[in-house]
Amino acid sequence: MHIRYRWVYVLLALGILAGALVTPIIYWAEQGAANAAQYPTAPVFTSAHRSLADAIRDFFGLHPTPVQPIAYTHKVHLANGMDCTNCHANVESGPVAGIPSIKLCMMCHQAVATDKPEIKKMAALSARGEDIQWQRVYDYSPTAHVQFNHAPHVRAKVECATCHGDMRQRTVAVRTVNMDMGFCVNCHKLKKVSVECIICHF
Amino acid sequence: MERRNFLKVAAITGATTALDHCGHPDHQLIRFIPEEDLTPGVAEWKPSVCTMCPAGCGLLVRVMEGDAEVVRNGQVGLMRMGLAKKLEGNPNHPINQGKLCPRGQAGLQVTYHPDRLAHPLKRSGPRGSGQFQEISWGEAITQLVGRLAPLRSANQSASLAFVTKPIRGRRRDLMEQFLKAFGAPPGISFEAFDEAVLRRANQLSFGRPQMPTLDLARTNYIIVFGADFLGTWNSPVAQSVGYGVMRQGRAGSRGKFVMVEPRMSQTGANADEWVPARMGAEGVLALGLAHVILNQKLRPAGDMSRAGSLIKGWGEGLPEYTPQAVESRTGIPAATVTRLAREMASHAPAMAIIGGPPLAQTNGLASALAVNALTALLGSVEKPGGLLFTPLLSSSPIAEEGSRASLASFAQIQTLLEKAPGIQALLLCDANPVFSCPRSAGVREALEKIPFIASFGNFIDETSVLADLILPDHSSLESWQDNVPESGAPEGVVSLAPPALHPLHTTRAMPDVLLEVAHQLGGPMATALPFKTLEDMLRTTYGGLGGGKKHDPKEDAAAWDKIKADGGWWSAQVQPSAPLLNPVSHPPIAMTEPEFDGAEVDFPLHFLPCASQMLLDGSLAHLPWLQETPDPVSTVMWGTWVEINPKTAGQKGIKQGDVVEVKSQHGSLRAPALISPGIGPGTVAMPVGQGHEHFGRYASGRGANPLAILAPMIEPETGALAWAATRVKISRVGEGRLALFAGGLRAHPQDEGQR
Amino acid sequence: MARKWGMVVDLDRCTGCEACVVACRAENNVPTVGEDQAARGRAIHWIRVERYWEGEFPDVRLKFRPILCQQCDSAPCEPTCPTYASHHTSEGLNAQIYNRCIGTRYCANACPYSVRFFNFYNPVWDKPFHLQLNPDVSVREVGVMEKCTFCVQRIQAAEIQADAEKRGLKDGEFNPACVQTCPPKAMVFGDLNDPESEVARLARSNRATKLLGELGTKPNVTYFEAESWEE
Repeated sequence: MHIRYRWVYVLLALGILAGALVTPIIYWAEQGAANAAQYPTAPVFTSAHRSLADAIRDFFGLHPTPVQPIAYTHKVHLANGMDCTNCHANVESGPVAGIPSIKLCMMCHQAVATDKPEIKKMAALSARGEDIQWQRVYDYSPTAHVQFNHAPHVRAKVECATCHGDMRQRTVAVRTVNMDMGFCVNCHKLKKVSVECIICHF
Repeated sequence: MERRNFLKVAAITGATTALDHCGHPDHQLIRFIPEEDLTPGVAEWKPSVCTMCPAGCGLLVRVMEGDAEVVRNGQVGLMRMGLAKKLEGNPNHPINQGKLCPRGQAGLQVTYHPDRLAHPLKRSGPRGSGQFQEISWGEAITQLVGRLAPLRSANQSASLAFVTKPIRGRRRDLMEQFLKAFGAPPGISFEAFDEAVLRRANQLSFGRPQMPTLDLARTNYIIVFGADFLGTWNSPVAQSVGYGVMRQGRAGSRGKFVMVEPRMSQTGANADEWVPARMGAEGVLALGLAHVILNQKLRPAGDMSRAGSLIKGWGEGLPEYTPQAVESRTGIPAATVTRLAREMASHAPAMAIIGGPPLAQTNGLASALAVNALTALLGSVEKPGGLLFTPLLSSSPIAEEGSRASLASFAQIQTLLEKAPGIQALLLCDANPVFSCPRSAGVREALEKIPFIASFGNFIDETSVLADLILPDHSSLESWQDNVPESGAPEGVVSLAPPALHPLHTTRAMPDVLLEVAHQLGGPMATALPFKTLEDMLRTTYGGLGGGKKHDPKEDAAAWDKIKADGGWWSAQVQPSAPLLNPVSHPPIAMTEPEFDGAEVDFPLHFLPCASQMLLDGSLAHLPWLQETPDPVSTVMWGTWVEINPKTAGQKGIKQGDVVEVKSQHGSLRAPALISPGIGPGTVAMPVGQGHEHFGRYASGRGANPLAILAPMIEPETGALAWAATRVKISRVGEGRLALFAGGLRAHPQDEGQR
Repeated sequence: MARKWGMVVDLDRCTGCEACVVACRAENNVPTVGEDQAARGRAIHWIRVERYWEGEFPDVRLKFRPILCQQCDSAPCEPTCPTYASHHTSEGLNAQIYNRCIGTRYCANACPYSVRFFNFYNPVWDKPFHLQLNPDVSVREVGVMEKCTFCVQRIQAAEIQADAEKRGLKDGEFNPACVQTCPPKAMVFGDLNDPESEVARLARSNRATKLLGELGTKPNVTYFEAESWEE
């Protein structure tokens, strides 16, 4: 593709820059000023995307691997005889598997491996009354409107690794399985479970 | 050429993406260790008590874990905590039996309101400017103690005043004990639509200074004089539950409901027969009905009850109240009076009740006594299908509530204003007399001069904006709830529940603050209130309820746990105690003509403020859910309106949505007109609730407040404000807009005949 | 037999209090739009109470009727949706699938009950109002239609729970938010295909009427008209 006039490229670039700036402006414009001090992130909650980059990620289904505050390693914990539900305990009782608070970690780590730098980091956090800011790896875009419920899947004996990968080889969680809608629907069809839209999207 | 530019564009896109990722706001907030252990995604249902109106319905709160931005130790961060997601009625609670009204449902918005006061404040600008600065709790309590202690040492304890919205239960007892130990006069209980007139009438007629409980589920006939009992009056949810049964809950039996009111209300719309009697003449109509029953001997002659003896001429059969005489005084045809009387006498159990505008007249007490006498004549007092009184635990000091409850809010405020020059300190808790009293009463001007004002409420409103010190209470879902409901259940009830939520903000429970202050003031105050927290006080008082051997700590503890889990204690075992006071002798009254402020020639229209189904008395105007829910009768959202009869509007050239000026002898206001067939040509009505100046972002600067222009007319015996006794004139000012939900879902600024 | 969700609304019991309107908004994350947008007819009330005046003062009557999505068997909104966002489910609900919706608004145009509402703007909640949002229900964005779902999240949760306990659903085990809160108990909800259920029994009553039934929409909400008093 060859565009004849250079100004078209300039316009295109300016347009993208403008979009990158305007989207957050629209987002911030939907705010009540009075809240600004109390809510430094954003004074309102809205369905609007926070920025153009956010919108692009959402549209293309990009899930860049986030950086975790503590270099947690699943490999070591699972090798030591723990299993998924020791920490992600609620997976059979409801929709959310859950990530434990630092209180659970410190139950062991007040005594175990206390010389390791990451444990020291964690102990310092805990002493300050702070919890670990785990970054979410598995979630759905809000615009997908998916109401996923772990419990019926676990009761149907779907293995954690089916969707989350084999954590015995992993340190932090990474989206190894491409969890697009086709992935879900294929399994539903295999297991002869309903594939009506309303089952998940409401 | 192509590749270079493509890379340029890609680089810019990539840069914005990267920039956004680095600066992602959420990644910068720290996270606090959770204070609770909740299972994410799974709800816990916790009992509580609704505080949106005085009825005291039992709640179940759906609590789920969520991420909240909170401030802890001066730092902002994220914290997982239990969040209230939905409120439902408690199915076991005798008052609301699992149901909840729209205001109760909207209660969620109080806890999570953006304008809610999150920490103590000290005034930093001129009084009333709304300028405050944040201080710590330590400073706030020190300041409060610092202002109260000198009053005691200088023997000026009596110069402390405490104005609160009506509260019942231990919270109230604590407050009263605080004031008593301090040496100050009892607290002032203020609400806009107070019920002193009806309580006084019930005290005289039945020996019970208490709001009635209506046994609608078993009644066959109810005639209602003005009381919005399916909307805002008394115990609306309990009454609605009973009403549903009255209509379709008993095979083959459907009770009749007759409504007597000057303007079609949400309640009145449900009536089988709608009777628009002249304002202030409702008592005359009641006596007309009694006359027919007495003279045609439609009820057994033995019903010469105490209630009847309070009416002059009762023993003679009320000779002045023939159907013809009643017709000329009320505007209701004589034949209708006769027919209604025959109907109610032949469809026992039947009852008559009164509330709202008829009591807000100068002859309100007389009207109430007349209606009470009619119910007594029908044989329905303390009988199935009739008027009951919720048993009050005779052991509790709350039983004395009755005598104080008869003191009208307005009278108490007027007394306060008279004493204001001598008041050194004023404490406020959720009462807003500056908004709810007529402007002419001069509440704001008088309170402004008080040297020290402190407020415990959750929000800045027209009254608390005058405060020097703000010590914000927890929201109701974050507080211990205890309430001894006055009406709504046939059995004795104590509602009690621990906090359903951890506090979101840096607030403190008002009772606990009072206890701390008492402790710091020391001496007799500390001795009178030996509790550390309200919870301690509640456990001491209520721990023994619900069985268990006295002084058996294990059984008491089990009983206490059960009460907390149930959300209260209730028992049909509690016998209705004997009438609380010795019959107060009272000379028989005659039905007087009501007096109205403003000569008819200058002010030709009656002015009728109405409690709004969504905003009640204005105390709920800050909640956007209620602002946006259409009013049942008008479908107006987010606004005030003046309801005008089509003929009256036509005469003055007023069209739907036009701004009109409503003028009384004591003030004027402007609001859009709503042409309505539900109101007569001689009356205009306005909802109460809007017209706030200082009440948060959703309520301030919106609409008009009809209470402001009222004349300070009173019912002479109780001193209650006769808020339906003002006359006004109206004139068209210009075009305007109403946000209506009706019809084509559009505002109709200019459409005639479109309702 | 597959379930078929239905409702009965008894207008003789309904008092017009609008508890259902606020309960629905709380349960389903329905946004408020503010005065200006409300004046332009864009307020969103999945259930509303219509009122009808008859006559002139003093012989005037006012009647209330709660109106919500009728979950019609022959829903006019379904064939008109180009993306299958509005379609019928196997349990008799008219589904509104937000992520399929591209905002043509043909469905709202077709609906004779005016129960479909469009998000003209991204909904906004001033913090911390958003803490109240129900995690079991999606938050919709600009350009998406929404309407009453018979609280499908409650239906799903109850069905999942019943499966876990290896039993069927009990009649009255759960209700949509409106039905649950209604003080005079004017609303009944349940499985029309269960002949023992209260809603099926009531739907067979001789008081049963359908709103705009003559249009052939086959609504699954049945109304009982208010009665008059006879001596």
